[in-house]
Amino acid sequence: MHFEREIEIKNSREKVWKFLWDVDRFITCVPGCREANTVEAGKSYTATMVEKVGPFRVEFPLQIEVVESQELSHIKARASGSDGKVGSRMKVELDVHLKDNGQATVLSLGLNVDILGKLATLGHSIIKRKADQAMEEFAQAIKNRLEGVS
Amino acid sequence: MLKRFRLEEPESVKEASDLLGRHGESARIYAGGTELLLAMKEGLIHYERLVNIKKIRNLDQVKLDDGVIHIGALATHRQLACSDILQERLSAFVRMEQNVANIRVREVGTLGGNLSFAEPHADPGTLLLVLGSKLIAEKASSKREIPVEKFFVDAYETCLEEDEILTAVEAPLLPPRSSVAYLKFGYLERPSVGVALFLVLDGGGRSIADARVAVGCAGPRPKRVEEAEALLKGIGLKEASRAVEKAGEIAGHASEAISDLHGSKDYKEHIVQVLLKRAFHQALGQSQSGGKDQGGLRG
Repeated sequence: MHFEREIEIKNSREKVWKFLWDVDRFITCVPGCREANTVEAGKSYTATMVEKVGPFRVEFPLQIEVVESQELSHIKARASGSDGKVGSRMKVELDVHLKDNGQATVLSLGLNVDILGKLATLGHSIIKRKADQAMEEFAQAIKNRLEGVS
Repeated sequence: MLKRFRLEEPESVKEASDLLGRHGESARIYAGGTELLLAMKEGLIHYERLVNIKKIRNLDQVKLDDGVIHIGALATHRQLACSDILQERLSAFVRMEQNVANIRVREVGTLGGNLSFAEPHADPGTLLLVLGSKLIAEKASSKREIPVEKFFVDAYETCLEEDEILTAVEAPLLPPRSSVAYLKFGYLERPSVGVALFLVLDGGGRSIADARVAVGCAGPRPKRVEEAEALLKGIGLKEASRAVEKAGEIAGHASEAISDLHGSKDYKEHIVQVLLKRAFHQALGQSQSGGKDQGGLRG
């Protein structure tokens, strides 16, 4: 599943960039992210993602590796993890780009998500819809945090 | 493989509701299990307790009561497909039930179980939407009526509370000169798209006095499409034959169809349009044949 989203944030590129690397603040914007830890700053992180669809609940402990990063410009990362209870695996490739747009910064997200195993039997459409909702919530949350709404 | 669980067998709604309230998320109602047990066998969900409500008496009856068709939530699809009352009063519902999934599912699966599990690729919810149905939900100390429009919240999610049990579905008798059609399209037993249409003709049978349109299966939950209905109401039949094309397009967009292995979003939206057109002509055909055999157009 591929997702793309552009978020215009009324704040400087420096502030947005700094926010992206502030793990404790950043995860408050990621729906379903229960905890995240820095293994090696700028390179390696762990996080736990929890999602619920009706009675179905999955919990993915993720290993996240930053593959590339260019100051104030872009980040490329990979994450993967398994839910042993449900017998499913998640792989994520994330591309983040920042660019100036007058008084605002445009945050472009490109996300490739692969769900493998039994969870996939639940239905691709349901998973995609949940991911779309999560993307929308993330966009709103990051705007709120960086534009000072909350 | 199915993991071990405890089977509770309450004999009353109150007892069942108490059990659900006491055990919270670790318990779930068993009312046929055609969806639930598949998910449990796959290991997608697990409950420590299943509360088998099929032993509660009198929750599987179909009866006429003061202008309302009352269907007990524990009536199996097969019971409903063979119900004389439904055949006489609401045969579109009988035809829908005759084609739910496969014979094994129809034999043990219940209407209440189907609605409460809220699997998106299911038929009954879509048809109940155009019939103006109400769902009766009970718990130990209270009972409430839920318009079917408010029942489905999302895929696999309903507005039922943790200790609440769906005990019945009630649909008003069809008014004179009304007609109902439900059509679906899908691969094997899971419908990819379902469309329901309810029409009432005016006294002369030349124009449409009322219309209800619902779509299901393509998106996360069945839904009414009032914008499509508005296009069909209050106009002559010839004009409506043309307007149904646009109404189908609107209903397709409103279905919140998602691309998946059943087909692309565009494809499903197109199928909604095709099915609504066919449903419209089927409903009008019922009116021209007198409607008796279809159980649709009455009066």
